[in-house]
Amino acid sequence: MDLRETVDEAAFRLEARTWLEANVPDSSLPSFDTAEGFALHRQWEKKLYDGRWSAVSWPEQYGGRGADYIKWLIFEEEYYRAGAPGRVNQNGIFLLGPTIMEVGTDTQKERFLPTMASSEIVWGQAWSEPNAGSDLAGIKSKALRDGDDWILNGQKIWASRAVWADWCFGIFRTDPEAERHRGLTFILCPLDLPGITVRPIAQLDGDTGFAEIFFDDVRVPVENTLGEVNKGWGVAMATAGFERGVSLRSPARFSEAVNRLVALWKRLGDKSDTALADAVTDVWMQAEGYRLHTYQTVTGMLEGRPIGAEASLNKIFWSEMDVRIHEIALQIIGPEAERMEGPLERWVDGFLFSLSGPIYAGTHAIQRNIIADRVLQLPKGM
Amino acid sequence: MKFSFTDDQRLFAEGLRELLANECPPTLVRDVWENGTGHSPELWAHLSGMGVLSMLAPESAGGMGGSFVDAILLFQELGRAAVPGPVLEHMAVAAPALASTTFGASLIAGDSIATLWVDDSPYVAHAGVADLILRDDHVLESFRTTDAHGMDGGRRLFTVSGGNRTDATPNVAGLDPFDAMALASAAYLIGLSERMIEIAAEYARVREQFGKPIGSFQAVKYLMSDALLKVEFAKAPTYRAAFSASIGADTLVRDISMAKALASEAAYRTSRSTMQVHGGIGYTWEADLQLFMKKSWALMRSYGDANFHRRRVSGFVLA
Repeated sequence: MDLRETVDEAAFRLEARTWLEANVPDSSLPSFDTAEGFALHRQWEKKLYDGRWSAVSWPEQYGGRGADYIKWLIFEEEYYRAGAPGRVNQNGIFLLGPTIMEVGTDTQKERFLPTMASSEIVWGQAWSEPNAGSDLAGIKSKALRDGDDWILNGQKIWASRAVWADWCFGIFRTDPEAERHRGLTFILCPLDLPGITVRPIAQLDGDTGFAEIFFDDVRVPVENTLGEVNKGWGVAMATAGFERGVSLRSPARFSEAVNRLVALWKRLGDKSDTALADAVTDVWMQAEGYRLHTYQTVTGMLEGRPIGAEASLNKIFWSEMDVRIHEIALQIIGPEAERMEGPLERWVDGFLFSLSGPIYAGTHAIQRNIIADRVLQLPKGM
Repeated sequence: MKFSFTDDQRLFAEGLRELLANECPPTLVRDVWENGTGHSPELWAHLSGMGVLSMLAPESAGGMGGSFVDAILLFQELGRAAVPGPVLEHMAVAAPALASTTFGASLIAGDSIATLWVDDSPYVAHAGVADLILRDDHVLESFRTTDAHGMDGGRRLFTVSGGNRTDATPNVAGLDPFDAMALASAAYLIGLSERMIEIAAEYARVREQFGKPIGSFQAVKYLMSDALLKVEFAKAPTYRAAFSASIGADTLVRDISMAKALASEAAYRTSRSTMQVHGGIGYTWEADLQLFMKKSWALMRSYGDANFHRRRVSGFVLA
């Protein structure tokens, strides 16, 4: 155990910091869940890609730097420290990308990874359906084989980024006889094909960060299948594990948020309110605990101990922490907490966004079941 | 940056777990509660023989010469078994702090037993079985003890009077004895919590109501998974504090306080949840759970409770 940075890691941090200081836009971009913001964020991703910072943990041949997970965490720390824009293509770069590297063919890697790293193609998710949310294995959307094509029919919902994204990835039922987790296939699909209708859904904050996608006899070549036919559940779960576990919410995001919260408390907090000071300290410890826990997890991954169902613990931890950070901030800012536009709007918007955390990528109820069943080995219920 | 233990560190901890599974089962803990000693000489000899008691004492004085990173998983394993007696006090502070004094040789060999009085409590844990007490700036011997009726039979409390004083300046690798005990207790509390969760999970697998194991009910799953969450997220901060202690980091006091605050809260939450999962049997003397719960309630308040340590962290973070 040595929790100090190596010379190499420190040099990497400095390189990232220097580049970000020179390149991060001075003023924040509009939300990427607006048409204008989406375009500006795509431009920013291209700039990151040109500097080879868009996917630092990817191999160099696909536009990355071959950085290990520790360096990825260092990059994330610098990224949030610099106040850089949100990652509009996170569904692609952090979720689908690693899955393609794990199960994709060489042709698929060549075809999809470089355009993903540059955000020439921005990816949306198409997993949930109106009747398959927490019960994701209840998926009914179908893909029927017709020669060299799949013909897709059905409806997806809560599809993140789908309003302006170029492609989506999702799971479809390819064996109508098979039940539940069997007979599903992971398919990649352009969103501008005939037969596709994307209907934006306004989120709690009013932006259209997700959408419904209707598939009406949509034709996709079978070469867009990721992994084996009828084995899509396993492919999807690999993605979900990575999402819940490490990549979706890097600790840097929360370290940066609690640092802002401490600064807010110093500026506006009632110093005679010891309960408030305790609350700020508590979330500071949570963010620090999450950071340390992640470094430990990542060291384990580098040493050949992959993350399993414990990923569900992370997801509950960070999402509850995020809500708590913002609850305390709103307590401090008082009347400003009611305003969607104003000098402290970022905290209000952040609060609304934080409330999605305990729901998306598997609700808390589902995560607790996973922990109880797979980590604590309690008998299956339901 | 490398946040993991070496194979040697892991293997030593596994060896200790195995030893304690054989030599410190709940029946042994219950025996020393009920015979009124709160200490097992046989277990003490095993721990001494394995090098656990002298882990932090320098090699030059006959100890194992380990760091707090070497010791932290051992504290945790001791907690998993609710090891009774002044093991933490002796191991984490007295043996290394007094290694170079006239008391050193017999402490490191485990021939004499030390406990501590380094907090502002009027009571001294384990004084009834200790040969000497290390106080802030001196060592006490030949003292008189009066039972103060501690709740944890493996950590008996006493008031102490009289005794012969020998001046001493305890210092454990740059740590104040109070802080060294806060760190050791944090790891011990994590071990206790892990064991309480295991005991309750086992109970939830076999106890049936409504024709099903109670562990299949979501209400029970949530109690258990929420406890596990707190325990798992107390671990990395505790290991980090051990690392900070091993290199004398500037953030040492903050890091130890963070560990003790989180471990204390995790242990209390775990004791409540695991007792709840047990239902009526959890409220009995007969259930082994009490051996672990009562130890956790004693240690979460010792060497600074969660409030004390949270305020200390505040002093650094909000300054």
